[in-house]
Amino acid sequence: MKRLRETSWLIVAVPSLAIVVWLFFLPFIRSAVTSFQTEDGAWTFQNYITAYRLYAGDVLYTIFVSGVSLIAVLIIGILVSGFARIYGGGVVEFLFKIPLFVPFVVVGHAMRVFLAPHGLLNSALAQIGLVNLDNPPSIAFSWVGISVALAWKNMALAILLILGAFESVGDTFLEAARNFGAGWFRQVKDVLLPMSLTSIAVAAVLIFTSMLASFSIPMMIGSGKGAQMLMIDVYYRIVYQHDYGVANALGVVSYITAMGAAVYYLRSVTKG
Amino acid sequence: MKRARIVRIILVVLISFIIFGPLSSLVIWSVAEKWYWPHLLPQQVGLFYWGKVFQGRMMQALQVGVLIACVVTVLSLIMTVPLGYVLARFRVPFKAAVLLIFLLPQAFPQLPVFANATVYLYRANLGGKVPGVILIHMVGALVYAVWTMTAVFKSIPASLEEAAINLGASRIRTFWNISLPLAMPGIIASALLIFLYSLDEFTGTLLVGSPFVLTLPVFMYNASQGYELPVASITALLLMVPGIILLLVLERYLKAEYLSSFGRI
Amino acid sequence: MEVRVENLSKNYGAVQALRDVNLSFVDGGLTAILGPSGCGKTTLLRCIAGFLEPTSGAIYFGDENVVGLPPQARGTAMVFQNYALWPHMSIFDNVAYGLRLQKLPKDEIRKRVIDALNMVEMMVAPDILERKPTALSGGQQQRVALARALVVRPKVLLLDEPLSNLDAKVRQRLRVELRRLQRQVGITTIYVTHDQEEALSMADQVVVMDCGEVRQVGTPEQIYRNPTTAFVAEFLGVTNVLAGTLTPDGKAVVAAGTRIPLPADVPASSDHYTVVFKADAAYILQDQPTPQDAVAFTGELVEVFFVGSTYRHYVKAGKEMLLVDSPSRVAGPSVNVVVPRAELKVYPGAPLGHDVEPTCSVG
Repeated sequence: MKRLRETSWLIVAVPSLAIVVWLFFLPFIRSAVTSFQTEDGAWTFQNYITAYRLYAGDVLYTIFVSGVSLIAVLIIGILVSGFARIYGGGVVEFLFKIPLFVPFVVVGHAMRVFLAPHGLLNSALAQIGLVNLDNPPSIAFSWVGISVALAWKNMALAILLILGAFESVGDTFLEAARNFGAGWFRQVKDVLLPMSLTSIAVAAVLIFTSMLASFSIPMMIGSGKGAQMLMIDVYYRIVYQHDYGVANALGVVSYITAMGAAVYYLRSVTKG
Repeated sequence: MKRARIVRIILVVLISFIIFGPLSSLVIWSVAEKWYWPHLLPQQVGLFYWGKVFQGRMMQALQVGVLIACVVTVLSLIMTVPLGYVLARFRVPFKAAVLLIFLLPQAFPQLPVFANATVYLYRANLGGKVPGVILIHMVGALVYAVWTMTAVFKSIPASLEEAAINLGASRIRTFWNISLPLAMPGIIASALLIFLYSLDEFTGTLLVGSPFVLTLPVFMYNASQGYELPVASITALLLMVPGIILLLVLERYLKAEYLSSFGRI
Repeated sequence: MEVRVENLSKNYGAVQALRDVNLSFVDGGLTAILGPSGCGKTTLLRCIAGFLEPTSGAIYFGDENVVGLPPQARGTAMVFQNYALWPHMSIFDNVAYGLRLQKLPKDEIRKRVIDALNMVEMMVAPDILERKPTALSGGQQQRVALARALVVRPKVLLLDEPLSNLDAKVRQRLRVELRRLQRQVGITTIYVTHDQEEALSMADQVVVMDCGEVRQVGTPEQIYRNPTTAFVAEFLGVTNVLAGTLTPDGKAVVAAGTRIPLPADVPASSDHYTVVFKADAAYILQDQPTPQDAVAFTGELVEVFFVGSTYRHYVKAGKEMLLVDSPSRVAGPSVNVVVPRAELKVYPGAPLGHDVEPTCSVG
């Protein structure tokens, strides 16, 4: 009887579950299933062969861009959070929260006009003689531009999560180290970082997945030439070629990559 | 201590440049009427494009976007406030499974899934229509809302509710008189974040709505790809306004707990 | 190492956590700093350690003023209430950390770590060095924390309520061992606590603090037997604290309806006085006459509790409730509570009141 009453409370979950199942769970299954089908519904591996032939490089490129951005975000995030934890955050902490509230599309557009060959950054650097405007480096329309934009946008989340973890380390653990002469870098390296590894791993997986799945930022500042981020390939395959088979095969590849990151995280957590 | 202060000043300058550099180019572009390189700043500055933008399709996109965001926020709250309470308080069966389903959209790339969801929505005759866009926004909004609501209700000590039940209040009465008022700050905070999410949503809107339903992010994308850089920059600035207001309002509440509730069951 | 503090003040904005503190600590001995939470005792300790910079004043280690020096340059080592053992490091790594920062050779580090763990009697198992601190009990963790502090051979050992997270039994045993160890190494030790029994039993010198100020300094006996202020008397657990008013002639104080002649050394400068005496210093008489050198309060016996070692009598005298400990049960209802004059202390100023929290709010 009690069991029945408890189960009946689950009724409140029905509407939201229905939406998430209909528009995420089932499409997720559908994309996995149709990636093994031709347009007529026959079973095939052709989509994966085509995807491998055309987009193998793009998959590596996506992992590379996301990985570089993630490492940059983590290094800066740990250093800034460590500084803020030990000496107090103040303005630094506030400034880094701003990107959290700037929409992805806006980040993409802003980076595009900022990093363009004749954008504000190159113009400003040219004023102090660091850049020759007759032959300006194009940061925006290269992997560097995407990396910079992804790192810029994700920095806020990284610092929020890492600083949160650092703040849950009690003052006395730091003071005990300071007592023996550990400077701020050593306090970060010997105490804060090892005591927050789990939370940082969570942050890393969240951020890596979000970078891998980024769509609007590469849409805004990608060049359309050369290697592309994976999500751009999926979008073009569907919108311009109506080829759901290959697009879904690429989608499955992106799921597996995201899952790989998650599994790595779970293993590192259970290990210790 | 002194060295820390010098490091802090250098950090603040450097970070200000990193944060405000890209944003400042939006401001400059928004008032640039004529700007050819190699000039550092535009040759001709004015509000010409601002006037133009407010007369065009931008206003329509703004209205549609705000309408969608309002509906998404209200629906999400109605659905997830009771659900968050149930998940936080009761030992319901399949709890882990329910939470896992709400974790999935967080763990996997959205675009390939939404592309297939678009097929379902067109089959249901909702593609290219406002209700369809609302539904696709609901997916992301619900995921966020369920996790934060559960966290909000978990943070209220159960003893406060037990005291009311002990005095003879029913579960539902207790929820109205005790739990809901105590949860209000958390509910308002996550309502604002849901609103912001919907207003800024790009991927789902582009797939489901385009070209019939236009919201600000999609409008901005179109303007940007059409090299109407002043128009795109003005739209970008407008899109930032609610976020900045929210940041200023929520600054104190924006602790890691809300966000780190993602990814942990 | 002789440690002195001169005119030390620490302000947090408008709040004064320390006000003009002057102290000198027993060279090679154990000084306990005793006070309620928020009295400034921890602030004082952290100023000495170097985690806080005082607003003004000086801290001398020998002849050297250490204000402005970073913690590691002062030669202090601290033991914390929550042990602060790094959970990700083994016992060995925890204890060795300070030595590694000094870049000592590996052999010497190992030898000194084992010596230190031996000293705190923690070399209890062959694999103890490899264990993580979380595998140890609270008492064992605090021993390791003590080893971590002692292994760097500090000039001054600082203990911040080191025993207050532990069970009563473990606390009793560690008190004895801590004191033995302190005598053995002979390091000047400053021990912060809010537990008066701990302070009295372990220290060579006790410093009582309140509201950021030093109220009294002395040996445990001096502090307990001759508290110089009502606060110290109350804080040391004197059970009877009565409010008194000056008689019109200025020669006596009336408390709980009884006239108490003003002692010669107490000025007749205040309207309100505090009268205190210990529960075990008083005794109950029924019909017998009051002795010459004693004061008697007439009241009504309300309740008698057996509290193990004694019977505690609750006597209502006027508006006051008096507590009297007696080895045998006395019958009521009407009784005289007799206090020898030497055991009765009178201080100028109204009592703080039992329910009143510290009158100041400082960190």
